Amino acid sequence: MARINPEFTDELKKYGAFDPNACYNCGNCTAVCTLSDEDNSFPRKMVRYSVLGLESEIQASLDPWLCYYCGECSSTCPREANPGELMMSLRRWLTAKYDWTGFSGLLYKSLIASITGFLLLALVVILFGFSMEFRMNDLLHYGHYFEVGAIALVASIILLPNIVRMWYQTVKKPGSNAGLKTYFKCFGELVVHMFTQKRALGCDDNQLRWFEHLVLVLGYLSLLFTTVFLDWFSTGSDFIIFLGYFESALIFVVTFDFVRRRIQKDQEVSKHSHPSDWFFVIWLFFMGLFSFMVRLFIDLNILEQNMWLYILQLIVLVQWALLIVPFGKWTHFLYRSFAMYFQKIKLSAS
Amino acid sequence: MNKKIGVYICHCGGNISDYVDVEKVRQSVEKDEGVFLSKTTMFACADSNQQEMVDDIKAQDLDGIVVASCSPKLHLVTFRAVAERAGLNKYNYVHANIREQVSWAHSDNKPGATEKAIQIVKSAIAKARNAETLEPVKVESVKAVAVIGAGVAGMRAAIELAEAGSEVFLVEREFFVGGRVSQWDELCITPETGKELVTRLYDEVMKHKHVTLFTGAELSEQTGSVGNFSLKVKITPRHFKLQCAEGSLQKAIEVCPVEVPDEFNFNITTRKAIYHNYPSEYPQLPAIDMKNCTRCGECEKVCSSIDFSQKEEAINLKVGSILLATGFDPYEPKQGEFGYGEIDDVVTLPQFKRIVHYCKDKLTYKGKEVKNIAYIYCVGSRQVDGENKYCSRYCCTSNIHTAITVKKKYKNIHNFHFNRGIRTYGKAEVWYEESSRLGDIYLQSFEHDPPVVERREGQTFVKIKDLLTSNKELEVAADLVVLVTGMVPRKDNSIGSLLKIPKGRDKFFNEIHMKLRPVETVIDGVTIAGASQGPKNIMESMNSALAAATKSFSLVASGELALEPTVAKVDRAACTWCGKCAEACPFNAIDMVGGNGNSVAHVNSSVCKGCGMCLPVCPENALELIGLSDVDMENMIDALIPTA
Repeated sequence: MARINPEFTDELKKYGAFDPNACYNCGNCTAVCTLSDEDNSFPRKMVRYSVLGLESEIQASLDPWLCYYCGECSSTCPREANPGELMMSLRRWLTAKYDWTGFSGLLYKSLIASITGFLLLALVVILFGFSMEFRMNDLLHYGHYFEVGAIALVASIILLPNIVRMWYQTVKKPGSNAGLKTYFKCFGELVVHMFTQKRALGCDDNQLRWFEHLVLVLGYLSLLFTTVFLDWFSTGSDFIIFLGYFESALIFVVTFDFVRRRIQKDQEVSKHSHPSDWFFVIWLFFMGLFSFMVRLFIDLNILEQNMWLYILQLIVLVQWALLIVPFGKWTHFLYRSFAMYFQKIKLSAS
Repeated sequence: MNKKIGVYICHCGGNISDYVDVEKVRQSVEKDEGVFLSKTTMFACADSNQQEMVDDIKAQDLDGIVVASCSPKLHLVTFRAVAERAGLNKYNYVHANIREQVSWAHSDNKPGATEKAIQIVKSAIAKARNAETLEPVKVESVKAVAVIGAGVAGMRAAIELAEAGSEVFLVEREFFVGGRVSQWDELCITPETGKELVTRLYDEVMKHKHVTLFTGAELSEQTGSVGNFSLKVKITPRHFKLQCAEGSLQKAIEVCPVEVPDEFNFNITTRKAIYHNYPSEYPQLPAIDMKNCTRCGECEKVCSSIDFSQKEEAINLKVGSILLATGFDPYEPKQGEFGYGEIDDVVTLPQFKRIVHYCKDKLTYKGKEVKNIAYIYCVGSRQVDGENKYCSRYCCTSNIHTAITVKKKYKNIHNFHFNRGIRTYGKAEVWYEESSRLGDIYLQSFEHDPPVVERREGQTFVKIKDLLTSNKELEVAADLVVLVTGMVPRKDNSIGSLLKIPKGRDKFFNEIHMKLRPVETVIDGVTIAGASQGPKNIMESMNSALAAATKSFSLVASGELALEPTVAKVDRAACTWCGKCAEACPFNAIDMVGGNGNSVAHVNSSVCKGCGMCLPVCPENALELIGLSDVDMENMIDALIPTA
């Protein structure tokens, strides 16, 4: 027996722009969705659960992560209820629910909190640079340490526990009794979807968006590898230097296109931008651009005179690694692929 | 005896001739006694054929006509009119049905069908031979109409009749006018209150010198028939001479020691034995409810207008037509139906409207603040196992309108609509839309799986298997449960029995034909309007009131009525008055005349419908139907039996 909670939509509205009162249950959204199937029928069911405030049902569901937001449901909704954006809001809400620290919810709901966080981190970086007297070699050195340390800490303290919480809410608690063997058998699903987002190809009009996204993911991950493990900023290898240029260029070119679309709002998917969406694409763009410029300044031997650029790059990097990656939209990268994995496990076990 | 009969056999474009050999039928009857002319025709009802028939009758001086075609329901009137156009009395026309009764029924047996058609036509010819010229019965009609019920339908009809030029007697059983509508605040679609609507109609009623309003008045006897009804009306006194002086009425109400449930507020409050329902109510004169008054005399001490000496009166009215607009009662749920009468938080929609009327800034019921309201639809309507199979039409709209009103009037209200499909038809659809936009939650179930109201842990819950959430079991913690009750006929509907108005399966008064004669009853001269006929909203009640007024007026307008002459006739020499015919008559058309051993039956020809129910019960065979006599019947039966 589920208890109806009409206050829930007020809470959910803080996570996105949709109109829960507009829906009259016609089901057009589900009918038009190319990803919806018998096992996972959405978005109507999620719209209804949201309207009725069935929180535990929503928390136990993987459906929001199985939607790749082509926006077809929103553009065909006869009542302009915006189901696509509702699914997006649910992803944000779920992110907040999975996060044990509670920062996700705070940052999603409050723009002021987000800006304060970004400013505080910028201040810390500037103060740090000041304490190092803006010496280039020291800063580059510590910057590299920070990257390695941040990855290890964020992954082990925040992301891993949150994934476990997601697993508990969506697999364990709803009563799946999958054995260890199933977990191994389905593991390939996680890897494939994490790196390719293959499922997104199921969206009708999505080939270009999928390709751009693939380029971005591969560019981002390889740039991460190039800077952290191949030490791009200090390397002498021409190949690695070129590789870094190429990867960072890919990132800012693709994200530039993403930002352009969000400004032009020419597609359903880019019509509604939550602050967290802007932070994600703009910071990624800055990351690509600034690291490209930093390496360029190193090659031109003018970085020492222009330490502001490196500080700027470091600020963006720190904000990205400590806010956007653990608490922001970056987590979708993880949750989406784990959702595909968990979904496969649940289906195999039942 | 008619000697020159014209017979027309219709092909009906193949509907008949595909199975019946119409030419053989024609040949088989052309030599029959009295047949002067016989023809077949492709479509007897076609204008060209009608003209040919007119020409034949005139040219050949025909004195009887038979058309063998479709059902008389379709074209009896058509061919009677043909006879009249040719100057022949329409009762010399006889209809033979060889389509519904022959070709369509026996499409598997063509020779048999043709044989049967021949016999049916022969029998019609036999009747035509004996047909008589009949003239309509003319009766005088009093140019006055009694309108029963001074609700919105009754008042609207009264105004219309008075404007058309009829005398109107408006008879209201209660002490105050307005009926159910005076109990509502703001109405749906027009932003007026029920009271404002009643006031407007009352003002107009009072303006007309041809409308006489009786309140506290009840019809107790009725005799006579269309054009000439005699009515006896019993009038209960109000025991007030005139309006109390300012303030002293309030005092009189205060000192009255009697407290009874206030029906105007559907018993959620109480009132005194001396009362008016609301301060500006019409007529603006309070009344004393003598059923509950203890005659303690306290009120007399503070108000000089009170007069206990007033006596019940009876007055007689003569009218040509009666218009019934006696309204409806809201359905009263049974004890325990969705917790009604057992759980405190369960009320009906009419009660809820009165609760909202009395709550100003905060919605409370029995001292508790109300925020979550669960509405259960179709209570007392669309019953699967109960008697009320019908949809009450007004409740979805009325409830959604009320839910919106409540949401706008008070803070933090959540509305939950447990429905079986919303029917805010017509212009009211916008309210459904608005309610949804305001965040009202709609939950739906089928009739076999109704919501359940239960009380546990000091809280009332409504549970449902919601169709819109793939039959998931859901529950709402409700502060108030509103049963959206439908309409039922008035509990005291004795006026229907008094006037012998038939009731439909829904127990509301029944019209003759839902579509074609929607405001007439089988009792000639009695029309019905408003919700007495079945569930209606105010707009629909007004429509039917205006239609009934027009129909009633048409009966009294010219001062004279022409009635069908095909009625029962008594052979006074043979009648011995046993009374069996009067018992059998469904229309009370037969009474006894004479006396002192010479009593005989008498048929009131303006009441008789010619149904023939009295004929077979007469032991002396003293009754006969004009236009369908025993001789006619025997001749027709003889013709039906094949002579071979």
